[in-house]
Amino acid sequence: MSDSIRSLRSYNPVVKTLAPVPAMIVVALSRDLWTPAVIGTIALLLLLIGGGLRGRTLLWVVAGPPLLVALLTVSFGIWTDPALVDETTALLTIGPFTLWSGALHTGLATGLRVAAVLLLGLIVGLTTDGPDLVRSMIAHLRVPYRIGYAGFAAMRFVPRFQRDLEIIRLAHRVRGVSGGRGPVTTLRRYGGYAVPLLAGAMRHGDRVSLAMEARGFGADRTRTERRQVPLRSRDAVLAALLIALCFVPHLPGALG
Amino acid sequence: MKTLTTRYLMACAAIGAATGVLLIPAYFVSFAISAAVPLAYAAIAGVWFLGPVVALAVLRRPGAAVLTMFLAGIINIASPAGPSAIITNLMVGGALELGFLITLYRIWRPWLFFLTGALFQVYYAISAYAYFNIDDMTTAAQVAFFVLLFASAAIFTQLGLIIAKRLTAAGVARGIAPAPVPAAR
Repeated sequence: MSDSIRSLRSYNPVVKTLAPVPAMIVVALSRDLWTPAVIGTIALLLLLIGGGLRGRTLLWVVAGPPLLVALLTVSFGIWTDPALVDETTALLTIGPFTLWSGALHTGLATGLRVAAVLLLGLIVGLTTDGPDLVRSMIAHLRVPYRIGYAGFAAMRFVPRFQRDLEIIRLAHRVRGVSGGRGPVTTLRRYGGYAVPLLAGAMRHGDRVSLAMEARGFGADRTRTERRQVPLRSRDAVLAALLIALCFVPHLPGALG
Repeated sequence: MKTLTTRYLMACAAIGAATGVLLIPAYFVSFAISAAVPLAYAAIAGVWFLGPVVALAVLRRPGAAVLTMFLAGIINIASPAGPSAIITNLMVGGALELGFLITLYRIWRPWLFFLTGALFQVYYAISAYAYFNIDDMTTAAQVAFFVLLFASAAIFTQLGLIIAKRLTAAGVARGIAPAPVPAAR
């Protein structure tokens, strides 16, 4: 884990999780173009400077949001009620359908809004690993450590699930359960995996809980951690910056 | 803490992990298709109900939905929804829990699952209104949005109840879920 102050990875996971939330709400409730555009750009810059992204992830982060905005602009241009925007300029007429500039404006605002929320979410999504988030929740959010450890267990269950799923699939195939091709059959086949997969997982959970309790898990009120996730002054700076994004809608007024 | 046994926690972790794995593609798909067809977003909104419904119906204990969705949310941090995944998940889990909380966890009949789910969709529709600019859509699109929203909630609740019934039949929740009261069945 990089400890450089420029790397978003060195910041506290709980701060990265909670601090963007007010800005997300402000963006989600905004109706103009300015607010989501500015907040989205700032989030993108934060990710590009501090994210340490590489390869395909970097490509998606840079190319994804503009694509999303373009897609939403066009699709909302189609979905928007023409009666609301027919005083704006008609850009294109195909048969009974007319593309109004007002509809595109609505679509652009929606697209920017979705992209900005997505980018704010990626600040934590791309720069945090799960166990550190749980450790920080126990240490800084005072989440009871028993619940936190259930979170660790849940993360460890995921690779086990994939193996179980493969075994169940093979077992079904050996018994000739799969009934042909097509999307409906595939969906039904996956439905057949759900119950044995979950039943197996819950039985595994039973065994894990026995093993944990046999080792004295939950006997004491507190539990010390081998690995400490720090909460430093740089986290306060990041939190202040992200919360300050809530004032972006008032900026044009303040600037005149 | 007395009711929060390790076994109960691990059962929630198991259902939560499965829910989390299911919701990662759901978050990806919802971002992709909400971009192209907002109506399809309404159609898959019910997927979020599957985990909490299964957890509540199998474990029949206070907090099952909230815990399960919280643990699923930790896994969902890796999806594009990021932190909003934990909040979305907690919101769905908490909302589904509410109906059972109000009835003091005494009623576990299917209608309460459907009623709670439908009430949450009303709330969700209101918040989605602003986010997706739904009031600017044509009337037909608005009607379709709500029909799809409630239909998907009902279908996935039903699916969750079926899975829960089969899991209970497999006996996995024996010792966690309280024994069924004969008068209530």
